Amino acid sequence: MDRIARIDMGAAGGPKVTEEPVGQYAGLGGRAMTSIVVATEVHPLAHPLGAENKLVISPGMLSGTTGSMTGRLSVGCKSPLTGTIKESNAGGQAAQVLARIGYAAVILEGKPEGDDLYKIIINKDGIKVEVDNSLKLLDNYPLIEKLRQEYGDKVAYMSIGSAGERLMLAASIACTDPELRPTRHCGRGGVGAVMGAKRVKAIILDDEGMKMRPPKDAEKFRDANRKFVEGLRKHPVTGEGLPAYGTNVLTNVLNEAGGYPTRNFKTGVFEGGAKLSGEAQAELETRRGGNPTHGCHRGCVIQCSGIFNDENGNYVTKQPEYETVWSHGGHCGIDDLDAVARMDYMDDNFGVDTIEMGVTIGVAMDAGLAEFGDSAGAIRLLEEVGKGTPLGRVLGSGAEITGKVYGIEKVPVVKGQALPAYDPRPIQGIGVTYATTTQGADHTAGYAIATNILKVGGDVDPLKTEGQVELSRNLQIATAAIDSTGMCLFIAFAILDQPDTFQALLDLLGSFYGIEMTGDDVVALGKKVLSAERDFNTRAGFTKHHDRLPRFFYTDPIEPHNQVFSVSDEEMDTLYNW
Amino acid sequence: MAAVARKNLHLVLSNELSGAFNLLLQQGVRVVCRPGCTLGELLSGQWGIDAEYVSRRITTLFLNCRAIDDVATAHVAGGAVIALSGAMPGLVGATMRRGGFYAAMRGAMTYREGVAGEENQVDWVRVKLFNLILPELGPGFLSHGIIMTAAELLAFITAREFPAGCFTAPPAIDGRLQSTGELEESLALAGEEEVHLTVEFKD
Ligand code: SF4
Repeated sequence: MDRIARIDMGAAGGPKVTEEPVGQYAGLGGRAMTSIVVATEVHPLAHPLGAENKLVISPGMLSGTTGSMTGRLSVGCKSPLTGTIKESNAGGQAAQVLARIGYAAVILEGKPEGDDLYKIIINKDGIKVEVDNSLKLLDNYPLIEKLRQEYGDKVAYMSIGSAGERLMLAASIACTDPELRPTRHCGRGGVGAVMGAKRVKAIILDDEGMKMRPPKDAEKFRDANRKFVEGLRKHPVTGEGLPAYGTNVLTNVLNEAGGYPTRNFKTGVFEGGAKLSGEAQAELETRRGGNPTHGCHRGCVIQCSGIFNDENGNYVTKQPEYETVWSHGGHCGIDDLDAVARMDYMDDNFGVDTIEMGVTIGVAMDAGLAEFGDSAGAIRLLEEVGKGTPLGRVLGSGAEITGKVYGIEKVPVVKGQALPAYDPRPIQGIGVTYATTTQGADHTAGYAIATNILKVGGDVDPLKTEGQVELSRNLQIATAAIDSTGMCLFIAFAILDQPDTFQALLDLLGSFYGIEMTGDDVVALGKKVLSAERDFNTRAGFTKHHDRLPRFFYTDPIEPHNQVFSVSDEEMDTLYNW
Repeated sequence: MAAVARKNLHLVLSNELSGAFNLLLQQGVRVVCRPGCTLGELLSGQWGIDAEYVSRRITTLFLNCRAIDDVATAHVAGGAVIALSGAMPGLVGATMRRGGFYAAMRGAMTYREGVAGEENQVDWVRVKLFNLILPELGPGFLSHGIIMTAAELLAFITAREFPAGCFTAPPAIDGRLQSTGELEESLALAGEEEVHLTVEFKD
């Protein structure tokens, strides 16, 4: 990972590839790389779909090594959905393969004239950009099938579906999993539309002839990895709960806690929750010959994913995640896992973010386009997105625009991006994160629950409700750092509870790069990333007044706890004080 | 509430059907107890769940939709809803965890001790079992017994379509053996009467 490739899609005479040493970006990876490149090189007032925007693709700092859990790929740009800086990451095979080929980042720049559609082939011999108009308007599953005939099964694919080509603001970038299914998506923020604007349909990554990235201290790295894996395996969440039930294990608990946003955030409890639960999902998958325990990339030891089959035992989609089951399920009043799985497949196929799409359909239900609970109606609306009809283009532009088009008052978005599956009224701390993150409403922005180990900001009295801002700040710092390593965020529980597992993570980084890593270094990295992102947003015109939840969260109490969001604006405005 | 006369239904099912009650157990089943005690006393003292298991394995507990930090101080009244879960992933999982570092993020969702429970009479509480706790404690609760109305039970048995031969021994109501047809008939006749159901799983 010592090179950066730049592909100027708008160069005179056709796309032009240049390569350069990592230079000022040395040592960066993942979110640190994408955000710092975007903040440094993209004009903050650039149109996200214009030539001035850049799409930065970067494997994590440990991707392409033998280290476990290191397969996250970050994609960054100015977001067409939020207008802010954006980092969106996904699992799948792409990060490992790209890192092994040797690129710390591939940066798509410019914008071609005309209508041609391109594919990019990256291998040990370099980068080729070719016109392939036969791929036009193919959705992800048929697209990958077609590409496999030409490039085979020993590569990784990144692609956009029809939604990305149509520049829909909810469009995602798909990465293939070990079975070469386009199931892992850089989903949030419309990154697929930016790739579509650059007329790039697919990126084929082929690491044939390349080796694993070698650590500086191989023995220490091996030892740290062994301890890290042991730590993940022995922890009840990473060793038992996530493998058995996936992230959807959260449905029952959120519902019981009254924090499960139901029917477009009208109540906190969904009566059909148990039917959507991870427990029900795992049982169904096992009964139908699917698999509730599956890794999205090779080298994942947690394996929170799975395979969802229909009643005849045929593959439908990968196991939908908690947020997807919520957005297409309880948020729309739907309690049918088969309907949710079908919509998950459609989202992956068209190439749209499952959270944005599900939330949008819930808003459309409030507008009367379908009844809450009407799964056939929800599927019909999603089909419009796939067809690219005028209605489909409205829906594919996300919840905020759909709400505006239909005059809906209560639209759950921050900075234009739909809120995920946790109501911020009963869980105030997550509301702070939704409001203040540099990314628009995003639950993963404050996910790395390791702040007590990192000792950033000290302890907070658990019996008091004060301190939400401080907690959120520390979570966001830790998350920005982990997002840069290429590590899956689900390692967070094991490193929260087990100091030796956290030390193993530091040793993995340290022995790979031949440096001593401490918790302070991790914190410094997280702050550096967040500062760069915040600075970009400020220059793009965002102020503290954008760091707010929609008004109805402050005025409409939610059952069963009858609570409104009550963290003061003044407190929230201190989040970036460091 | 005084003790209620109930029919006793005992089912012996093949092990393959051990998951048949999972949805019901997640939605919550009524379990007989003597409320007015702490949650810890109820779980370990009355229901015999090892205290060590409670503290190590049941890391997330809810009493009437509120997260519990200390089972020794939370009092359970008759009719309460108790949900038991293993450790959960993610920030919200950490937030809900008993005595966890992120408990401060819960706001009003934290259980605060109010008036102590009522006197020590036989009553019921509704118990929900989630994730890892479901297969581990579900069979115990089913063998100890749960309360359902006959109509609920009939709906459950017919919706679940228990396959022929699933009963390892004939069902028994108050000790009287029944064929499957007789069982359905008895439950239909009993309507809203309460049934104390015990279930055993055997090969
Ligand atoms: S834990 Fe889940 S999301 Fe993370 S790498 Fe493994 S399968 Fe992918």
